[in-house]
Amino acid sequence: MSNLINIKGGRDGLRMRFDDTAEWSSLLTHLGHQLTQNRAFFNGARLTLDMGERAVSEAQLAELLSLMQQHGVSTTALNANDRGARSAARAIGITARPVPTPREVQTTSNPSGADGDALLLVRTVRSGQLLRHSGHITLVGDVNPGGEVIAGGSIVVWGRLRGLVHAGALGNEEALVCALELRPTQIRIANQLATTPPMSGPHVPEIARIEGDQIIVTPWEAYKK
Amino acid sequence: MARVITITSGKGGVGKTTTTANLGTALAMRGSRVAVVDADIGLRNLDVVMGLENRIVYDLVDVVEGRARLRQALIKDKRLPELCLLPAAQTRDKDAVSPEQMVELLDQLRNDFDFILIDSPAGIEGGFRNAIAGADEVIIVTTPEVSAVRDADRIVGLVEAAEKGTPRLVVNRIKPRLVSRGDMLSVDDVLELLAIELIGVVPDDENIITSTNRGEAVVYDQGSIAGKSFLHIAQRLNGEEVPFIILSDQPGMFERLFSMFGRRRS
Repeated sequence: MSNLINIKGGRDGLRMRFDDTAEWSSLLTHLGHQLTQNRAFFNGARLTLDMGERAVSEAQLAELLSLMQQHGVSTTALNANDRGARSAARAIGITARPVPTPREVQTTSNPSGADGDALLLVRTVRSGQLLRHSGHITLVGDVNPGGEVIAGGSIVVWGRLRGLVHAGALGNEEALVCALELRPTQIRIANQLATTPPMSGPHVPEIARIEGDQIIVTPWEAYKK
Repeated sequence: MARVITITSGKGGVGKTTTTANLGTALAMRGSRVAVVDADIGLRNLDVVMGLENRIVYDLVDVVEGRARLRQALIKDKRLPELCLLPAAQTRDKDAVSPEQMVELLDQLRNDFDFILIDSPAGIEGGFRNAIAGADEVIIVTTPEVSAVRDADRIVGLVEAAEKGTPRLVVNRIKPRLVSRGDMLSVDDVLELLAIELIGVVPDDENIITSTNRGEAVVYDQGSIAGKSFLHIAQRLNGEEVPFIILSDQPGMFERLFSMFGRRRS
């Protein structure tokens, strides 16, 4: 996303890492900008805030939380090495703990591809269920109608994709969506949106990507040539 | 110790109450001690379907709030002494009972029965939460309609999240002729989406309407294909292997079954 604020995903959800030294007001401005620009990704998200070594006051934290709340983001916990920051968080009613060591982080986030941030899941995403991740998502299983998958990176579904998918939800127009059966109720890549035309006949694995300014779907066999 | 089985669906009007009444009756006919519990507080109708409405003195909420003992509220079935109904309150709503109170109530019932069947209200809110709180197993009823299947899918997710295991499925009100014409989802279509174990298929049957209105379970009706299907589900609940009735695509097969039974009845 930027150097000031980094978003990372792991088994335990999304983590937002704030730069240690930048000025607080410019961090907030930057955050507000990011939340607005990537509304599709952040709306309804639950985040862990990672403050590193920064000392934040209760007032600063309250300001931050209200900004997040305005954008539909809730905060599950705060990681901070500064004791004052942790007690400020607890005073507002947020779980606080020291920043996990890199080793701990590594075991919770997934070993990976290029972005170091990919998630592999074996399950069915049923109606009413939502999968959200900042990196790529590989799902072995179906996405049923009414289910949603939102990723900052690409989405690969080894199964039937019939729900809603949003790849590149943080603005990445290079993101791909592929599935053994690609029939989403709606497909979004970055800021583009498309629906699946009703059709019958045998289904072949397909891949969707942005070309020009629209989403193009190609059978996998044709794409790889 | 009883097995507590909750019958639920998400969508309303797909046949939860009919399924509960008929499975309860079928299990009792086969010698099990069965309690059916109406968890649809405020919209009770399991008692009506079973023809026991006029015998209600105390209900589930009376027991939970200590106005009556469990024994006093349990109503014996008209025909089967092994079958009891615990009716819902009609003048209260879902908030009258908490999930903890349901679990406690079921623990009191468990020792005296082999099966406890809970008729869940539609929806995914408090009433549904109450109905699955004490369940050991869950059966989901759906009809072959896109909206009902969508809701069933949502319920499967919620039941799994509540750590009640993977629920089993009853596909109710299937019309073989519409399916063979391609105008109705087939059982296979439903299973492909939900990907859970099938425990019964119940064809659409007018006998259900007449038996429901009479307050008698359709499983008593030897001529009813739906009644037979419910009996089979009860057998499968008991761990018996019963083949599924093939509802043939071929026009004629299903009708033949009907007319055969029809003749015997007349």
